[in-house]
Amino acid sequence: MISSMPPGLIMFLGSFLIPLFPHFFRQIYMILLIVISAFSLTSGHGTHLVINSMGIDFIIFHSDNLSFPFAVIFHIAAFLTVIYGIHNRDWKENVAITSYAGAAIAALHAGDLFTLFVWWEATALTSVFLILGGKSLRAYRSAIRYIIIQVGSGMLLLSGAIILFHTNNEALFQNFSIDSTSGLLIFLAFGIKAAFPFLNGWLQDSYPEASEVGTVALSAFTTKLAIYALARSFAGVEILILIGALMTFFPIFFAVIENDLRRVLTYSLNNQLGFMVVAVGIGSELAINGAVAHAFAHILYKGLLFMSMGAVLYRVGTCKASELGGLFKHMPVTAICSIVGAISISAFPLFSGFVAKSLIMSSLGYEGLTFIYFMLLFASAGVLHHSGIKIPFFAFFAHESGLKPKEAPLNMIIAMIISALLCILIGVFPSLFYQILPYEVNYQPYDFSHVVSQLQLLTFAAFAFICLWHFKIYPPELNSTVLNSDWFYRKMIPGVFKPVILGIQNLNVVLTNLMLMIFDNFKKFVNNLMFNNKVFDRETGFDTLIVVQIFGLILFILMFMHFN
Amino acid sequence: MGFIKNFGKANSIVLFICIILLLLEFTGDRHGETELEELLFFPAIFGFVSCIIIFKVGVALRSIFMRDEDYYDK
Repeated sequence: MISSMPPGLIMFLGSFLIPLFPHFFRQIYMILLIVISAFSLTSGHGTHLVINSMGIDFIIFHSDNLSFPFAVIFHIAAFLTVIYGIHNRDWKENVAITSYAGAAIAALHAGDLFTLFVWWEATALTSVFLILGGKSLRAYRSAIRYIIIQVGSGMLLLSGAIILFHTNNEALFQNFSIDSTSGLLIFLAFGIKAAFPFLNGWLQDSYPEASEVGTVALSAFTTKLAIYALARSFAGVEILILIGALMTFFPIFFAVIENDLRRVLTYSLNNQLGFMVVAVGIGSELAINGAVAHAFAHILYKGLLFMSMGAVLYRVGTCKASELGGLFKHMPVTAICSIVGAISISAFPLFSGFVAKSLIMSSLGYEGLTFIYFMLLFASAGVLHHSGIKIPFFAFFAHESGLKPKEAPLNMIIAMIISALLCILIGVFPSLFYQILPYEVNYQPYDFSHVVSQLQLLTFAAFAFICLWHFKIYPPELNSTVLNSDWFYRKMIPGVFKPVILGIQNLNVVLTNLMLMIFDNFKKFVNNLMFNNKVFDRETGFDTLIVVQIFGLILFILMFMHFN
Repeated sequence: MGFIKNFGKANSIVLFICIILLLLEFTGDRHGETELEELLFFPAIFGFVSCIIIFKVGVALRSIFMRDEDYYDK
């Protein structure tokens, strides 16, 4: 019975009972919900639940070789987030985490666009509470912008689904062409959540405003759900290769100049999504395997990096590089876990990033996409710079900040150690990891050439950073705001429309005054005509008025005859 | 020893690893996904130069994209 329930649904519905449980039992209950949900994954591939309503088949539970690996990692991410947040007594955030993860997992199993839409919006509505969990005015404002954009994405998806249903009498969640209106709308909807270039502002705006636990949850689900949706519906769409390459390229530079280390990680997240989008755009079996493997590995090492920075935030109260440094002595376990995450995301051999990213790089090589290949190689050096070095270095080493925090709470350490071990296990046993991927894998990441090339690339990039730092060429981190694409709707549009609105208001005042003046003058004119023995004054001009009326009547008749 | 003292122990270890990796190139057949990659020490040079370019561009972008911390709160 349980196994025929769509995975995630029990988590979504069950989350609303969380407030009834006291702290600690609440966490046990949340883990129980995740385990029950994961049990549904044993149903095997196929369509397990369809509900017909209003003449539409709502495919609530469909599982296949693409949804399965995402479902597995989403459950793992939900479990790790609950462990990481055990210290958190805020039941609202616990409800949000569980319902958000449940909605994302349920979305993976949607077989039609209407069902997908419901869960798509549910992820938006639940995750916004995680941003509000930041409990600051900035977080509140960011949450408002976030929900508008996320719901907007859902509206585009619904519009596409309706047009598709109108044309085909069905709206299955399958391959689409971007040449059709419906396909383009759906593509845009997915693109917003996948943080395409110029649609990415919400990501860097909102995620760093959430609490330390909220950001870990946010980093796992929304964007990877979008990658899954792109892989299902737009695999092999060539424009994605260019879009993905731009996504890998530009965030690197913004990450380098950003001071808030959690915001650096969101740029890094954007960059990593680029690798996945490129792979989806290639569309070959190897590339799709690469996209899924990268999403799987990425959730773990990115989650680990967010966990380590969350632990720093929890203990120190800030994540600004300019205010941190020298924490290794006080938070050694957190620092080591952060370094494991940094090494993994940099794709050093024996860590998860290497075995995942190699699939994508090789698929680019096989397809002969040389320019994109070198863009991604350049981006790989960038990843090492901003996530591999900047994050652990500025937080735990660099200069002595004078901060003396305690080590992270035990639950945080457990979650970080499990994540770190998974990063290493995937890197050490890639053949086991590859078994979960959608297509059969005949790929060996560990050959002499691959390993030496990757080690040379990364070690020399690290050496370049060392030289810059040692010879004091690297400038100090500054408290600042880095402009991103959210500037367009946070500054430019209000900047342009504010004068326009003010202008309209001023024009309204001028026109009103003008009308009042004309009305006043007309009143005076009429007064002058009607009174003081003027032409329409009844006492002296009644016969004149009759003459004028007769003339008017003649004029009317003449006009009538002329125009008739 | 004077070099290690000046350059730092950890930095010197990284430099040592870099040299080992360059020497490893002569012990086996390193090939790449493209012909360009098969040039001698290509990944090492590419990694080093990329990191410098990223740094240089990043510093240049500071003057364009960097604003006060309360820029959006004003």
